[in-house]
Amino acid sequence: MNASKQYPLKNNSRQSGRMGEPPSPAELTLRLIAGLPAPVGLEGRVEASVRAAAKEPGKARLLSWPAPRWDSAWMRGAAAAAIVFVVVGGGWGVYSRVQPAQQPRVIAMPRTVAPGGFSNAGAMRTPQTLNGPVVTHPAATVAPPVASQTKPARPKGRKVKAATAAMGPNGR
Amino acid sequence: MEIAEKTVHDRARHQAEEEALAALVSQYAGTIYRVAYSVLRNAADAEDAVQETYLRVLRHRDTLDQVRDQRVWLVRIVWNIVLDRKRRAKTRPETDDVAELARVLPAAGLSAEQRAAAAQHHAQVLACVEQLPAKERQVLMLSAFDELSSVEIAAVLGITESSVRSRLFRARNLIAGLLNHSRSLK
Repeated sequence: MNASKQYPLKNNSRQSGRMGEPPSPAELTLRLIAGLPAPVGLEGRVEASVRAAAKEPGKARLLSWPAPRWDSAWMRGAAAAAIVFVVVGGGWGVYSRVQPAQQPRVIAMPRTVAPGGFSNAGAMRTPQTLNGPVVTHPAATVAPPVASQTKPARPKGRKVKAATAAMGPNGR
Repeated sequence: MEIAEKTVHDRARHQAEEEALAALVSQYAGTIYRVAYSVLRNAADAEDAVQETYLRVLRHRDTLDQVRDQRVWLVRIVWNIVLDRKRRAKTRPETDDVAELARVLPAAGLSAEQRAAAAQHHAQVLACVEQLPAKERQVLMLSAFDELSSVEIAAVLGITESSVRSRLFRARNLIAGLLNHSRSLK
């Protein structure tokens, strides 16, 4: 099947939408808009802007500089030397600024976890969640007894009773 | 001596490029403007698009003689520019279209009321066109230009001629349905 028979369209000649049918309102509107005249003086304004842009070659062209002349050999050599100098200098600058990482002098040993306990998993700060029991040292708080000021040991109860019995009921 | 000859040659070439560009402007600026206006529907924006088109041509003026069909090439450039601008711009309200169409449409022998009604009708039709899928809408809009054949529309859009025909067929069916639907809503 010929496509041009199925979907008729103008072929270098003006035709309406379908064969034998009037164009749809949409096509009429689009043709009306497409046929609107250009504003007066458009060509002059466009040409002026193009000329202005052409006179500013920096904006109009990507590379506006005149092409360098590579006729002389010493100029080529100088350019090559300049490129080599820039590349080597840049590499040396990077090399001189970047220092290799030095080995640490102190070897950090991993912390050993107490048997049966929990480790802090390497945390820098462990929050105190519970107030643990405060250990008091009685030896530190009570002063040690001095030997000269010690009181004599109290006699046993049975001996006291015997002494009082010998002294009589009034203690005489 | 050699430098002088080269300078003369460069000047002559530059002069020839400028003349070719001026010929392109005088010959195709109107067509390019109408293509731009059909998409942007704003006179100032369309003129900006025309100027941008020729500035792009200026950038590639060295390869101007390699272009086979300059008219289609220019239409393709402006088509890409206006589609890009329209994509970036906000959606135009229909009232803007009505006002612009009332301003630009030919009003010979029409009263003010008839003119306003015609502008309203065209704006509604254009709103239906905007609802079409992009591929079908582009073919339908370009087919409205008498200067462009189906082969040239295919060249502008970068598709085959059979694709142009099938898309145009679908666009006509879709727009007929949309217009019937809008009429039934009234």
